Amino acid sequence: MRWLRSYLLLLRWHAIRLKFILPLMLVIQTLLAVGIVVGFSFLMPEVDKATALYLATGAPTLGLITVGMVLAPQMIAQSKTEGTFEYNRTLPVPRTAILAADVTTWLLTSLPGLALALLTATLRFDLDLDVSPLVVPAILLVALTATGLGYAVAYAVPPAVASLISQVIVFIALMFSPINFPADRLPGWLQAVHEVLPFQYMADAIRDTLAAGGNGVSGLPFAVLAVWCVAGLALTLRVMTRRS
Amino acid sequence: MLLQIDHLTKIYQRDVRANDDLSLHVAEGEVLGLLGHNGAGKTTLLNQVAGLVKPTEGTIRIDGRDPVADPAFARQVCSLQLQAQAPLTGVTPRQAIDILGRIRGGSRQQVKERSEQLMSALDITEWADTPGEKLSGGIRRLTAFCMAVVEPGLLVMLDEPTNDVDPVRRRLMWEQVRKLATDGCAVIIVTHNVTEAERSVDRLVVLDHGRVAATGTPAELRRQASSDLRLELTLTPGAAVPEAPAWASSTNVTDQRMVISIASADAPQAIAWAQQLHAAEGVAQFVLNPISLEDIYVGLTNTSEENHDAVAA
Repeated sequence: MRWLRSYLLLLRWHAIRLKFILPLMLVIQTLLAVGIVVGFSFLMPEVDKATALYLATGAPTLGLITVGMVLAPQMIAQSKTEGTFEYNRTLPVPRTAILAADVTTWLLTSLPGLALALLTATLRFDLDLDVSPLVVPAILLVALTATGLGYAVAYAVPPAVASLISQVIVFIALMFSPINFPADRLPGWLQAVHEVLPFQYMADAIRDTLAAGGNGVSGLPFAVLAVWCVAGLALTLRVMTRRS
Repeated sequence: MLLQIDHLTKIYQRDVRANDDLSLHVAEGEVLGLLGHNGAGKTTLLNQVAGLVKPTEGTIRIDGRDPVADPAFARQVCSLQLQAQAPLTGVTPRQAIDILGRIRGGSRQQVKERSEQLMSALDITEWADTPGEKLSGGIRRLTAFCMAVVEPGLLVMLDEPTNDVDPVRRRLMWEQVRKLATDGCAVIIVTHNVTEAERSVDRLVVLDHGRVAATGTPAELRRQASSDLRLELTLTPGAAVPEAPAWASSTNVTDQRMVISIASADAPQAIAWAQQLHAAEGVAQFVLNPISLEDIYVGLTNTSEENHDAVAA
């Protein structure tokens, strides 16, 4: 009960503080989605059905990755510099409530952009999506994993390093991850790396549930993401509760 | 005793001794002023009480319970105003104070009333709905003070709360600090403003290099000083520096200023001596003042600075 009360109040506190950057988030995510859907099709003169599906489902995935692993850690880095992190440590609320409220805020922030990205893609490619009800847990898990990992980075390293790492992450995700294209186009060693990294599984989870196509939804991406997610959140919580 | 600290030692990495065998206590309804130079260990002390930093040795008891073993309890009963500014970007003082009051456990109505009353007592209602990034440093500091005391809990700890605040509102803030004590809170206030502290605190603890250099009421600290008056002479330019009289317990000359510490019993002859010099135009003017707590404080920490250096050498 006390946990829930703390959680809801913290959520309100975040909402007030973040309301002025929310429109900016929407613009960034929309531009990103349009950039991927429209821009990538300039690179590829012939867009067949399969490519279109990758681009259309890759765009919202990248949107979630950008919010969770780039924008959220950058805001954390900024809040550490401003002293918000230290201030929150003094509040009489459970640490898990602080983390949960933070993560919820970022999930909610990324949803409108996700919808816009999907809309742009379907309009551009005239796709027939076959949406599974599992899309809801898939989106939540991808967003939660991205945010959890983004947080772990932001809390574990100094602000300047965190900003740098988040830049590298978005670069790898955009260009060198099988999100917008099938994994078999990558060299063997990079494919092997992506067997472990979460990016491919994020893309798979979203694509499978948006366009199941009668093949059913694979459980593997969910399992791998769950492991990354728990690891990210556990590390974050550890840093938050650490006492010098 | 609401807060009881015994033999507290905190050693950070690289052998930095922030607190060194430090003992103090604060009762309900008492305001304790914590004085000390930068790096004397004041903030480290507050952070340990609030359960944010673990002591190396010694014990802390808040209302009989241990904040080290139960940091959640410590955060529940302590309100801490940090030395750094509170995060107010995008938030108005009213929103910030209301939410913090609710987070600290107050009911909606109760917090609303208390926050209006605090803002009006500190005369900041005018800025109640201005976003934080547009507020001056002083108003932000006062807002942070309200955020800490809107639901004060048992123990309120304020780390340099009067920084950046104008003299009029500083007085208003001290009144609120006093009121917190009257309402039954124990208050610890870290400050560099010795003169203000002297007027408003019940007891003072002077920290020096992590140790308690002196403790007592302002009056008791004064009594510890060897003399209780100071005669300050402004010398006439070009005139010779007068020889220190026999009744002077210490004499200090800098440029055109001569400061002599004396016991109150010697006041009549000191005035006569100064008047004589003044008549002979050896001094341009003179003043006789009670020795200030600040002088005592500087004396306390300076002496130990020298000792410390001697030990280090």
